Amino acid sequence: MNQIWPLKFRSLDASSLLFADDAGGYFRSDNEFLDRYASDVLFQSDHVFLSDNGHSYSTEDDLAFTSFAFRWTRRQSVQKKLSYIILVPTLRCNLTCTYCQVSRAPEAAKGFDWSDETLAGTISFLDALETADIKIEFQGGEPLLRLDLLDKIRAFCRSRFKQSQFVVCTNLQRLGPNEWNFLDADDTFVSTSLDGDFATHQRQRTSDADKTKTFFANLEEAVRRLGSNKVSALPTIDVDDPPDVEMLLDNFEHFGLRSIYLRPINHHGFARKLKPQGDVAARWNSFHAQFIETLIKRNARTGNFMEEYYFSQCLKRVLRSGADNHVDLRNPNFFASDYIVVDHDGVFYPTDEARMLSRIGRVDLSVGRVATGIDQEKVAMLNGSSLNNFDPDCIHCAYQPFCGSDVVDDISRYGRVDIPRHETWFCRRQTSIFDKVFELIYRDDPATQKSLVHWIGLPAWPQELAMVHR
Amino acid sequence: MIPLRLKIATQRGEPFIVRLNDDRHFLDATYGRMTAFDAQLEDVTANAALYATNHGPLHIYDTDPTETHGDVLFVVPDRKIAHRFIRANSRHNTFLVTERCDQLCVMCSQPPKENHTDMFPHFEAAALLTETGKTIGISGGEPLLYKDELFGLLERVLTARPDLRFHILTNGQHFCEEDAGALSALPRDSILWGIPLYSHKSATHDEIVGKQGAHGRLMQSLAILARTGSAIELRTVVMQPNAAQLPSLARFISSHVPFISVWAIMQLENIGYGRQNWDQLFFDNSVDFAPIASAMNLVRARGIEARLYNFPLCTVPFEYRELAPQTISDWKRAYPDICEPCSMKTECSGFFEWHPHNKSYEGVRPI
Repeated sequence: MNQIWPLKFRSLDASSLLFADDAGGYFRSDNEFLDRYASDVLFQSDHVFLSDNGHSYSTEDDLAFTSFAFRWTRRQSVQKKLSYIILVPTLRCNLTCTYCQVSRAPEAAKGFDWSDETLAGTISFLDALETADIKIEFQGGEPLLRLDLLDKIRAFCRSRFKQSQFVVCTNLQRLGPNEWNFLDADDTFVSTSLDGDFATHQRQRTSDADKTKTFFANLEEAVRRLGSNKVSALPTIDVDDPPDVEMLLDNFEHFGLRSIYLRPINHHGFARKLKPQGDVAARWNSFHAQFIETLIKRNARTGNFMEEYYFSQCLKRVLRSGADNHVDLRNPNFFASDYIVVDHDGVFYPTDEARMLSRIGRVDLSVGRVATGIDQEKVAMLNGSSLNNFDPDCIHCAYQPFCGSDVVDDISRYGRVDIPRHETWFCRRQTSIFDKVFELIYRDDPATQKSLVHWIGLPAWPQELAMVHR
Repeated sequence: MIPLRLKIATQRGEPFIVRLNDDRHFLDATYGRMTAFDAQLEDVTANAALYATNHGPLHIYDTDPTETHGDVLFVVPDRKIAHRFIRANSRHNTFLVTERCDQLCVMCSQPPKENHTDMFPHFEAAALLTETGKTIGISGGEPLLYKDELFGLLERVLTARPDLRFHILTNGQHFCEEDAGALSALPRDSILWGIPLYSHKSATHDEIVGKQGAHGRLMQSLAILARTGSAIELRTVVMQPNAAQLPSLARFISSHVPFISVWAIMQLENIGYGRQNWDQLFFDNSVDFAPIASAMNLVRARGIEARLYNFPLCTVPFEYRELAPQTISDWKRAYPDICEPCSMKTECSGFFEWHPHNKSYEGVRPI
């Protein structure tokens, strides 16, 4: 008789359960199967199904065993070479957004820019990297306030690396000929915030109509001049005062932006002070799920397919091994592995969120300085809590093989890393999205399948993905 | 058609390997220096080119020396022919290392023969003379019947010439646990093992390859190749006996053979047994593409690459054409007259030279 790999399960609806193994193989079945599985009285037909679907093997190292090991292994993230560096040349900004995520400083403030030593240290840090290809993300503050520093870094990278790419995260508020000239280069991309409609964007970010008009005019110009493939935009959503979703989608589509990454206002940095009330996670999850439904209907109606970026990542992560581009879906989620942040004062942080959290003084998550190098001991300490395979809650979860971990978010919200998972924001958000992913996979509806195939880049939806065993 | 054999005249003697050089400078830094194998063009007459070789003068007839410049030839003096082991201006160079085989596939394009002459030393010499960065095909018969010779060739050539790559067609009946060391030691990025699997059902597979137990043995080999990190191109010729089962095979691949580099779904070649059995085998995908589409979508959704080999583009629905590269080798590729106005001709595999257009795809038309 075949050995069966452990199955975990979760209710899909009143009459059916989702079963999944540690390698991410899944199927839908019912309570009767669960009873047979739990009491070890499986039918012969159960055994045949489990074998065909890759949930069992007969001898160690046979093909079924080896392929399971392969699929499991491919779902584990591996340490990589540093190749994505987030640089904060200044913390100063010319906007005062209500929810500022990044702990800004006023435009005229002193002491919030890179010193000459920090610039030199950053350049020697970059010079010592092993990678041949580099991606630099300029964050802030508003990085275009220090175009001179951006110029120096870009010139250095172009001469040092075989391939280099630059992303400027800018509020697109003030752009003169020099700024446009900098952004014109083929290797340089723009990332900005677009909070939906005009009113919401003004309420959350620009605060007056003139500035809002300037922003929209500059975004229009950026798309016209650089092409929509070089411009991306993220909406930050206040779940208690969200923008009109159809208007948000119209606006993104108008600018040729088909991929939208919804971000909730998060509680790092100055945004903590806003102290929202009640069960924000539940409200966010329901907003996000509703957004996906709106997208499906709209895609079916217009044929101009748009996606919610993170949902597509989660969908691919469920279907495939090895799809862990998004850090929230990496397990283990190694810090300072392929990316790292250099702050305005030359301090390293493992993530942008860790930088904000440290800045408000809650906990010091810095991992060294450009002058002295990465503090590997501290990185190792963070990494120790940064995997879900052995977490006492995650081991029972059917979504564990698809999920990641976010120790920084846990520390930020709860001050510790060992809160029961289902009480954490991260777990609740992930669980809700994976619930939605499986709801859609098993929804037998042409409009839904049209969106799903577009989001995973296929010509048609193979029904076998909705595997059912009775 | 591009000739693979040339008419020659030379002194009587044993067969030998030469590399042809016209008056252009050919050798490059990687495989650099002049060797004892190099032949220099001396003279060109109306119907022959004369080369100076270490084995005396070599006349090659009815050939343009600029076309064969850099070719590596296997010269057989007594039979007055030379085999073009390596054609310098082609991507399709294959060593046929044996004609013996332990399977008897219903569609075999190269039916097996009992005789075998060990040519491995000549193939090794030819490989070492090959232009930088080329991929060399190894085929048969079943190359793994001569496992020691083959592994030895691969190890020595790839040590001396890490720039080369091998694409080896094998029936996957002969890998065993003892090979794990040798397989692991070979550079895994330099070798692609092309292995056929026709069905998830052992009965269907065994019947197609004409060998009882072949499916089970293949499963063992695949596990060994997976554990040694070897790169696999899984090949499935789609035919009437297995077409309807493709979606089930796709499911089997995504759960049991997910470690392959690519799954190649292939069209039938009308030669050898493929010609004899054409009427029972040929599956017209221009009439029914559904099982192929469904199979490809499933494995691709699961993150596994899939491609269509030897499919004329007009017989493939638009959304799948980007998955059909030009795979028919240059020397056996042909386009009938109907292809003349087609806008995709230069990207299309076309047809095998010997394709029977009277018993062919219904959907052939210019795009």
